[in-house]
Amino acid sequence: MKKRNGKRWNKYLYAGVVMTGIAVLLGVAGFFWTPYSTTAMSASEKFSGPSLRHLFGTDNFGRDIFSRVMQGLGTTMVISSLVVLFSGMAGILLGAVTGYFGGILDEAVMRITDALNGFPSILLTLVVISLLGSGRQNVIIAMSLVFTPSFIRIVRGEFIRLRDADYIRRARMMGVGKFRILFIHILPNIFSVFWVSVMIGFNNAILAESGMSYLGIGVQPPDASLGNMLSDAQGYLQSAPWCALAPGLTIVWLVLGFSLFSEGIRRQGDLA
Amino acid sequence: MIRIEDLSVAFGGTEVVRHVNLELQDGEILGIVGESGSGKSVTALTLMGLVSETARVTTGRILFDNVALREAGVPFDSALYRKYRGVEMSMVFQEPQTSLNPTQKAGRQVEEVLRLHTKLTKEEIRAKVLEAFRAVGLQEAERVYDSYPHQLSGGMRQRVMIAMAVILHPRLIVADEPTTALDVTIQNQIVELLRGINREQKNAMLFITHDLHLARRLCHRVAVMKDGCVVETGTAEEVFDHPGQAYTRRLVEAVPSRMKGKAAAGRNAGGLSAAEAGCRNAEAAEERGGSSQVPVLKVENLSVYYQDGKDNQSAEQAEGGSGKKRSLRDRIFRKKGQCVVWNADFEIYPGESLGLVGESGCGKTSLSKAILGINRHIEGEIVHNSVRPQMVFQDPYSSLNPTKTIGWLLQEPLRAAGALDHSLAMSKSDREAAAYDMLRRVGMDERYFHRRPSELSGGQRQRVSIAQALITNPGFIIADEPVSALDVTIQAQIMELFLKLQEEMRLACLFISHDINVVYRMCDRIMVMKEGHIIEIGKTEEVFGQPREDYTKLLLCGA
Repeated sequence: MKKRNGKRWNKYLYAGVVMTGIAVLLGVAGFFWTPYSTTAMSASEKFSGPSLRHLFGTDNFGRDIFSRVMQGLGTTMVISSLVVLFSGMAGILLGAVTGYFGGILDEAVMRITDALNGFPSILLTLVVISLLGSGRQNVIIAMSLVFTPSFIRIVRGEFIRLRDADYIRRARMMGVGKFRILFIHILPNIFSVFWVSVMIGFNNAILAESGMSYLGIGVQPPDASLGNMLSDAQGYLQSAPWCALAPGLTIVWLVLGFSLFSEGIRRQGDLA
Repeated sequence: MIRIEDLSVAFGGTEVVRHVNLELQDGEILGIVGESGSGKSVTALTLMGLVSETARVTTGRILFDNVALREAGVPFDSALYRKYRGVEMSMVFQEPQTSLNPTQKAGRQVEEVLRLHTKLTKEEIRAKVLEAFRAVGLQEAERVYDSYPHQLSGGMRQRVMIAMAVILHPRLIVADEPTTALDVTIQNQIVELLRGINREQKNAMLFITHDLHLARRLCHRVAVMKDGCVVETGTAEEVFDHPGQAYTRRLVEAVPSRMKGKAAAGRNAGGLSAAEAGCRNAEAAEERGGSSQVPVLKVENLSVYYQDGKDNQSAEQAEGGSGKKRSLRDRIFRKKGQCVVWNADFEIYPGESLGLVGESGCGKTSLSKAILGINRHIEGEIVHNSVRPQMVFQDPYSSLNPTKTIGWLLQEPLRAAGALDHSLAMSKSDREAAAYDMLRRVGMDERYFHRRPSELSGGQRQRVSIAQALITNPGFIIADEPVSALDVTIQAQIMELFLKLQEEMRLACLFISHDINVVYRMCDRIMVMKEGHIIEIGKTEEVFGQPREDYTKLLLCGA
């Protein structure tokens, strides 16, 4: 058994690491190498079922689904990571400032996030996409915008809780600078709470990205993404179910693996 | 009536109560004293059958009139306990804030006891509850009956709890630190009330406390606990005046007391000698007499307002009441609020400690915040002659940043000072050296430098807090109840440390406390506050010797 900090990994962490690890490995590999070209069509091998030659079978153009899943995984994970990174950073920055200082700025930012929360997120992304046009970059921008409010709320809540803690009051009395208090004194203390929200945010981002590609406003063909593969496959659900099952189960695998991973980390932390 | 024989209780593999033998007669008050973690609460909870499921009774038994309530090796009998709890024995808890259900009216919660254990009608129950409320000294019984807990003060809530505990005239009342969360004067009333109930109803009482003064005043007999064992039992006089065990003696000595006198206490603990202390007082007096000495802090005519945002009207009234003239400029620029400190006027000289005593809500904290510049809604003048006054807080668990190491924490004030004033900037190695030095001066080992606060005990954390406050040599600090959250023996060590550092660094100190004995031990002069007014200020001995105000007398006899 592997050990970390002298402690045995719990079951959640173990399963999560294995599942996420496989997904990440395939995804990263997909950038450099796939068994077949993801765009190579073959009229003679349309809709061939899963076999050793084509692990997940082929689709309506005779493209290798396994290769496309690998590429799609990579795309999905990169987009989700960037979305969480950007919205997390924006959340920390805005949440810290609004939570700590309060006042007019806090009021303004909070009302804006309320307004953003008021719309269904898919509608909001649709609006942004229709303004900016589709494409990878714009998907990231749109999703970051939608994801930021929840991060702001979490960070702000924590900063409000800690801004009057005794040790922060003492830091103020010492004359520690405001930004040093924000990011050196308080920020490390909210890490555990923030980490959980990042984990949840990442899962949501995976689902949201797949959803957007499914609706055709995300990654555009011929590039593969798990969402647009699903949407292409739905016409052949009866005749070639593997076309839909492969990307669908991959999404389940990825989200489940990551949920287990974050739950495992949380429990491991509780034991400490 | 109650016999605890050879009782041991274990959580998991660790025994927290070890072979305890106690006996309690009808009408007797037995005090259990000891520091936190000595097993006194677990003993009481086991007696009441309220200890958590994970606890196991490993040896011994508990007898109530020769009926075994609990015995080692016999599973917990909840049906048996239900017959006794409420009717024969009841409990009063420490925290009046959390021991009443906030969503139910006080009367209803007390009624519940009667509904469960008697067959009275609704009207009879109500009459009985009101009667009980009056018996525990709640003046407006009807109003309290229909109040929710948050509408009652801490003292009133504790009275409701006591009413609930005594309404069925149980033969045993277990009181777990019932007065610890209350103010001194309220504390007195509650103690008197318990004593009265004991006299009238002749019930036995098990009184758990860490306050030796209290135990001495209330209890007939006292048991001293340490590390789960009873180290000494006897009458209150025996135990406290002629302690048989070394531990009891240490405990008794650690308690700051006016009886023992200030100088004597200092000598006992190896601090200041009587002569030195006298010198210091004389010196301080001289300094005050001669105008050559500049006070580190001079507060003139200071009023502090509590900012409530929109509550301007009441502020107007409050100010009208004070009869003070305000300049036009003040009217325009200063936001108004409720006045919480009125016309405070005092000075603190280098090397002197000024004690500030008063009940909660009297404005002690508001005053200290105003001095530190946290609250700017003030009127009057505060003149500092120290660089940057620091503060030591009450709760050692929340005053150190849990994510940093002790070394980092100690260096932070130096870094901050360096950032503000570049002439004070120090190199990394200088800072580290200063931090190590300070760590030694507060009596801590160097190996704590790389530890985090979670690895330290309460007393050690308070030492680090003090070190952090003093490392920039501020010349003046405010200590807000710095020892209240600590055990008596630790308390004594921290007070000793304070006195030592004060001597070494010629440190002026505003020492806030509700514990009049601590203040007596620590301070040259004391200041008594009531409802925002400073009602008395003078040399410690004089104030204690001949208190001028009735309120001061009340505070003093409380202790």
